[in-house]
Amino acid sequence: MTDYDSYRAEARSWLQSVAGEFGRDARRGLTEEQDLALGRHYLAKRYEAGYGGIHLPVEFGGQGLSHVEKVIFETEEMGFGMPIGYFSISLGMPVPIIVRFVEDRAWVKERVVKALRGEEIWCQLFSEPAAGSDLAGLRARAEPDGDGWKINGQKLWTSWAQYADYGITVLRTDATVPKHKGLTYFWIDMHAQGVEVRPIKLADGGHDVNEVFLDDVHLTDSQRMSPVGGGFGVAMATLMIERYAATDSNGFGPGLDNLVELARGLEVNGRPALQDGRVRSAIARNHAMRAGLDSITTRAMLSMQAGQEPGPEGALNKLFSVRSRQKLSELAIDLQGARGVTYDVEGLHTDDWTASWLAAPTGRIAGGADEMLLNTIAEKILNLPQDHRPDKGISFSQIVA
Amino acid sequence: MSFLYDEGHHAIATESRRILDARMDKDRLLKLLEQIGRYDEPFWQTATEQGWTALAIPQKHGGLGLGLIELGLVAQATGAHTAGAAFLTVGYGAARGLLDGIEESLKTDWLPQLASGEKIATVAFADASAPLPPASSVRFENGALSGTKSAVVAGLRADVALVWARHGEQPALCLAELSHVSRNPLNSFDNSRLYADLVFDRAPATLVAEGEAARRIALETLAAMAVVTGHEQLGGAEELLIMARDYALTRKAFGQPIGAFQSVKHRIAALYGLVELARANCIHAAASDRQKHFLMAAADVRISATEAYDTAARDCTQIHGGIGVTWEQGIHLHMRRARSLAIEQGNLLFWEDLLVEQMTGVAA
Repeated sequence: MTDYDSYRAEARSWLQSVAGEFGRDARRGLTEEQDLALGRHYLAKRYEAGYGGIHLPVEFGGQGLSHVEKVIFETEEMGFGMPIGYFSISLGMPVPIIVRFVEDRAWVKERVVKALRGEEIWCQLFSEPAAGSDLAGLRARAEPDGDGWKINGQKLWTSWAQYADYGITVLRTDATVPKHKGLTYFWIDMHAQGVEVRPIKLADGGHDVNEVFLDDVHLTDSQRMSPVGGGFGVAMATLMIERYAATDSNGFGPGLDNLVELARGLEVNGRPALQDGRVRSAIARNHAMRAGLDSITTRAMLSMQAGQEPGPEGALNKLFSVRSRQKLSELAIDLQGARGVTYDVEGLHTDDWTASWLAAPTGRIAGGADEMLLNTIAEKILNLPQDHRPDKGISFSQIVA
Repeated sequence: MSFLYDEGHHAIATESRRILDARMDKDRLLKLLEQIGRYDEPFWQTATEQGWTALAIPQKHGGLGLGLIELGLVAQATGAHTAGAAFLTVGYGAARGLLDGIEESLKTDWLPQLASGEKIATVAFADASAPLPPASSVRFENGALSGTKSAVVAGLRADVALVWARHGEQPALCLAELSHVSRNPLNSFDNSRLYADLVFDRAPATLVAEGEAARRIALETLAAMAVVTGHEQLGGAEELLIMARDYALTRKAFGQPIGAFQSVKHRIAALYGLVELARANCIHAAASDRQKHFLMAAADVRISATEAYDTAARDCTQIHGGIGVTWEQGIHLHMRRARSLAIEQGNLLFWEDLLVEQMTGVAA
């Protein structure tokens, strides 16, 4: 057994020991407030057990281990349905990024520990009404104001902003230069005057995303995390962090074994559904795809353990897994015939095919739309040309809206 | 279990590719398409000379004692060139079937000759449209085989065949020399595969295995060949991906390389995804040989590699436009090979059903 194997075994046994208190079953029937409180409690316990901030430096309250241990733990944790969703953005991007880019180290340490314990939550204010895939087209602006900055504008699709204490954001500080060059990166206090959060109800009924209005919010210059005009680079560094997040070949939907069990109890044309060729074909093809993604993930982990960069094919996971989860969810609903219309509003998208189906479109858009992922693969891996970009090289203020 | 290729593996991949790059010739392959009974002799000479026939045969039987991982890497290189690798895969399959069988004298008689390439072996499992029928129509009685095996790869040239047959009510695996067997040539869209119906009429044969053991060995042999073929499909698909990409970078229309149009670049990016899924499944399956979930891993290979190669053939041709459908340009060598390999070693329908049966215990 390697050190990694024993790390995995210990992590699993700790997770099992707290699953009854925090896992899927313990959460059933809770209101969102109760669930969030349970999540905060779980994070505190996880931190005390030594599984908080696994890859963050010890001097900032982390465990000082590598991405390998972090991914191992996250992969194990995924199966238990723990109440961690509220903190996934917070601990995923903002916390590591403030460790890298905020100068006041004592302040950073205090924030990191509070975030790891679930006492504080960070959000990421990137997208806007007119800037999603085209992040550098954002319009919310920061203007010099005395010793600091005054910010105005609107952010959109901000996950868990309604519970957030702090946020990281990119703002336009110069509209007279090309769009990528006029951006600057800041952190903001979500409780500051002029910050207003309005939850947005999504198609599946959930409201984990928000619109955030910034109205003459004052920032000190110490809240700036990049050189003026150097914000896009830090934004890219933020998005790169996701390369070391745990992946899921189920596309964060139910597993294939779940579909098999569903089909076992159903009939098509009076015969067992599992004997139907169309059902068999869908199961087999999904198995082959998921096995391929799992094998890619295993090799990426082995590369990391060997101190090498994982191969670029890791970029395929989200594209393939979520798209196929969407179609498989449709099949699962079809299989139930007339009864397929029923819907359990408490169903989780990781267990319940209808919940999975309703939430799947979000998965294909959030964190990089399918089309952008295909562009990235084409351009970064296959060296194909960039799309034609009429806004290239001209100042932001001259771009036709 | 997936793993990372080591330096030795990389050396096999690079070296086999280098040799084939130097020796293969597209025009030579194009000529073979219109002739029945001819195969690419220079390729076969290379394969025996390089020891590829010996690669996965144990050392004590005159082989090099390596396994599916190494043979897979060679098959991948041959796939990139649509090289005439028919004998390589089925020759390995026949050797493996013999090794797993009961008859020691068959091993000592045949394996060294198969390893050296002196003799060519094939595998004849399919009856009509069934890749591995529950009960074969070919009967083994009194030391002889009678019946017909359909579209046997390398059937026009092989010296000997491992045959899926029936002995009374029991399944049986037999080895038959083909000198006294009639071979009815098939005109196919990929003629260098040497497809023939083999008609056995009381042809002398030796029992390799019988009953459940025969079924298990046949299935495992088919799975192992499917993994080798999957690598060959992967090699072909990857080559087409590169051809499509290179063409999209150089061909211009409407004032820019066609690869700048999303309809083209996304098609190529999606193809890259299919190629990487196939590769991932190939690596996993090759390393899972003789392990518990090998049949499932082999099925995953077949499904993803077939999808990758067929899609690559379609899309690479499409991206090339008119030039892509010319005889001379030769993309159709891959288009044809993508389909012939999709059928050899069991079609998708067979592997999908087998996979689901393995997963759920429910037969089709």
